[in-house]
Amino acid sequence: MELRGTIRGFSRVPLLGWLVAAFVAVLLEIAVGTPLALSLGLPKIPVLFGVILALKKPLLFPGAAVYVLLIYALPIALIARLGAGLANRAAGRLLAFPLLVSVAVHLGVFYITLELWSGLSDYRDLVLRFTLIAVMVTLSLNVINGYMGEFSCSHPGFMAVGAYVASVLTIDLFTNHRVFGSALLPAALGPLTFPLILIIGGLVSAMSALVVAIPSFRTRGDYLAIISLAFMFIVKSLIENLDIVGGARGLGGQPDWAGLPTVFLWTVVCVWVINNFVRSTLGKALNAVRDNEMAATAMTVDTRYTKMVGFLFAAFWAGVAGGLFAHVLRYVNPGTFGIQKLAEVLAMVYFGGLNSVYGSIVGAVGISLLGEALRPLEIFKWIIIPLLLILVMIYRPTGLVAFKEFDPEAILKPKTDPERERDALPQG
Amino acid sequence: MKLKALIPVTMVVAAMFALATSVSAQTIKIGLNIPLTGDIPKVGEGSKFAAEMWLSDVNGAGGLEAGKKKHKVELVIEDNESKAESAVKAATKLITEDEVLVIVGPQSSKQAVPAGGVSQDRATPMISPWSTNPNTTKDRPYVFRAPFLDPFQGPVLANFITNEFKFTKAAVLYDQASDYPKGLAEFFKGAWEKLHGKGSVVAYESFTTKDTDFSSQLTNIRNSGAQVLFTPQYYNEVALIVQQSRQLGLKSPIVGSDSWGSAETVELCGKDCHGAFFSSHYAAAGATGATKAFIDRYNKTHGYVPDDVAALTWDSLRIVATAINATGGLTGDIKKDRANVAKAMAGIKKFAGITGNMTFTPEGDPIKCAVIVRISDKGQFEFYKSVCP
Repeated sequence: MELRGTIRGFSRVPLLGWLVAAFVAVLLEIAVGTPLALSLGLPKIPVLFGVILALKKPLLFPGAAVYVLLIYALPIALIARLGAGLANRAAGRLLAFPLLVSVAVHLGVFYITLELWSGLSDYRDLVLRFTLIAVMVTLSLNVINGYMGEFSCSHPGFMAVGAYVASVLTIDLFTNHRVFGSALLPAALGPLTFPLILIIGGLVSAMSALVVAIPSFRTRGDYLAIISLAFMFIVKSLIENLDIVGGARGLGGQPDWAGLPTVFLWTVVCVWVINNFVRSTLGKALNAVRDNEMAATAMTVDTRYTKMVGFLFAAFWAGVAGGLFAHVLRYVNPGTFGIQKLAEVLAMVYFGGLNSVYGSIVGAVGISLLGEALRPLEIFKWIIIPLLLILVMIYRPTGLVAFKEFDPEAILKPKTDPERERDALPQG
Repeated sequence: MKLKALIPVTMVVAAMFALATSVSAQTIKIGLNIPLTGDIPKVGEGSKFAAEMWLSDVNGAGGLEAGKKKHKVELVIEDNESKAESAVKAATKLITEDEVLVIVGPQSSKQAVPAGGVSQDRATPMISPWSTNPNTTKDRPYVFRAPFLDPFQGPVLANFITNEFKFTKAAVLYDQASDYPKGLAEFFKGAWEKLHGKGSVVAYESFTTKDTDFSSQLTNIRNSGAQVLFTPQYYNEVALIVQQSRQLGLKSPIVGSDSWGSAETVELCGKDCHGAFFSSHYAAAGATGATKAFIDRYNKTHGYVPDDVAALTWDSLRIVATAINATGGLTGDIKKDRANVAKAMAGIKKFAGITGNMTFTPEGDPIKCAVIVRISDKGQFEFYKSVCP
């Protein structure tokens, strides 16, 4: 009874409340994190909530646990709970303005929290950037495998195309390279043209997707899976045989432009655009094609056009993500975009949940952080993660958070009485 | 009641804190960025075993000497899953979280190239025991390597074949999709054509990783009239290539590169490989002195003869120890110490390693001798000849 009351109390906390609480916790970590960690016998601030530390040196587990409790769990719970009323009022007032204002405020608080949190350690920063890129890739694959209901295996190929196009452009235009010659444009222009370069990478990737889309959408069935798998290998072999981009040896020396703000901004734009796309008429048409193509045609949906647009759209975002990936890693080689990458992305999609923006975020963040946190377990990591996937497949065959609409307004709005709200929610 | 139950718990926790804090402060941390899972776990295993042997030696002797003080050494081992992005994460973690003084690894070039960038940006010395891609150390004063480079190995083999057999026509068979064989094939071809003129490489055939049937390429090679076949491949492919070429009636000698130097080569290939030559970092059979001591000890603890990657990791760690020793004492400021170690490492002259004597060039690449190994009729790797630059 007591527990239920506490949980109900927390369910009244709006997103704004959680974000502000997290922000305060990060401030707390900056202020007292290091002395607290040292006094608990930890060598440094635990980097990923103490999991890595505790797995590596089990002796330090209690210290790490106390640290996480004191810095994260307790302050966040306390502030979220006590500030719920205030946060609800603030969230309500924000919604009186256009939705964009509210979204901007939330994202602002979220970004500052992430920036401060990752500012404490370069390792956090790197993990965060790769995680955000994983969100983009997963979400774009979900458009095909979830919303459109086809099975595509070509995403690593699209990423590779985007990564190489963007890398060649930045290296050629802005750096002195032994193959591409000296910089063609002044370096100051670089960061300004970088978004353009990423978009070009995405567009080229979408064009290359036509190679898969034209033959495979003439028919129904498993053809897409086979053709797209072939496409992935074709891209890989093509790059391996292109000596101008380094062949199998890879291409390095990309400028360091994909910092956290850039990656964060692109991820936000990606989530926003894809979410709007899948909630648009075209997105609904995608769902119709998935559920029953014949019926969709009868309802005047141009199925082939719909599938093409959905597929190219997903390829575009995979290309953009690939470009960012290349500039975070600052090196690309064809071996990276092989079957292993495919397995990783597919795992994220199916773990998180089909047909759901939430699911893609949960899947990408979950698998990325789990992969990082369980690193000290070495080979056992590859037993635990697949085991989790199997369990998810058994108990939730469509993924953790499948078929759930991502409605910004519903997420941002103040939470009054959870009981009443639950009744008001449409079922299903 | 509740309070009473809490007392033992508190005591245990307090004891754990006490234990944790009692670890002495002045230890030297050395990071190991190696592939324990992924495509080449055997490489990671060999590196790990060699590193652990080295660690027990050092700590058994009371620690690593720097200046007049002895420091205990701690190895921080990170698995890089044989992936480029994972190697970059591991390197960043080792540098910023574990605050290691030096990083040893990654082993393969596809990870060493990007991880080297991280080390250079964060001014942390790194030495790759196995990477042969020139870009790993290029323009990176903080990044070093232990193996000789392919631009050296290619000509060594071309010269060896020319002097030993007096051949003038060679054939090359290599994996087009893999970084290392492709590079080496090119360097060999260049060196051979320099010796015998254009067109003296009569067959230049390629395949793609995971191909298992080489009959069409080998038929071309047989018909080309080549006197020798050079194939810089890994052990699993070597076995297939050599066996298939013998079945097709190709009688010419077959020569390989340091990638042949795995215990598996002979095991998979059997009698067909007997009598073949390859260049390597060291020869296990007939080794003497420190090299033999290392091989015997490794064999005794782990039950197999160590591959070259283990020997090179061993040498890398000893180079690190030599460099730390040469700094003349640690200041305690990790940034200064890292810079000092990098400087000391660049100044190492005539380091006596179990894979040969090394002196570093300004690029951070060693000048060292290659060993030509003959696979004996018992299937052992015999020392045949040493070739120095």
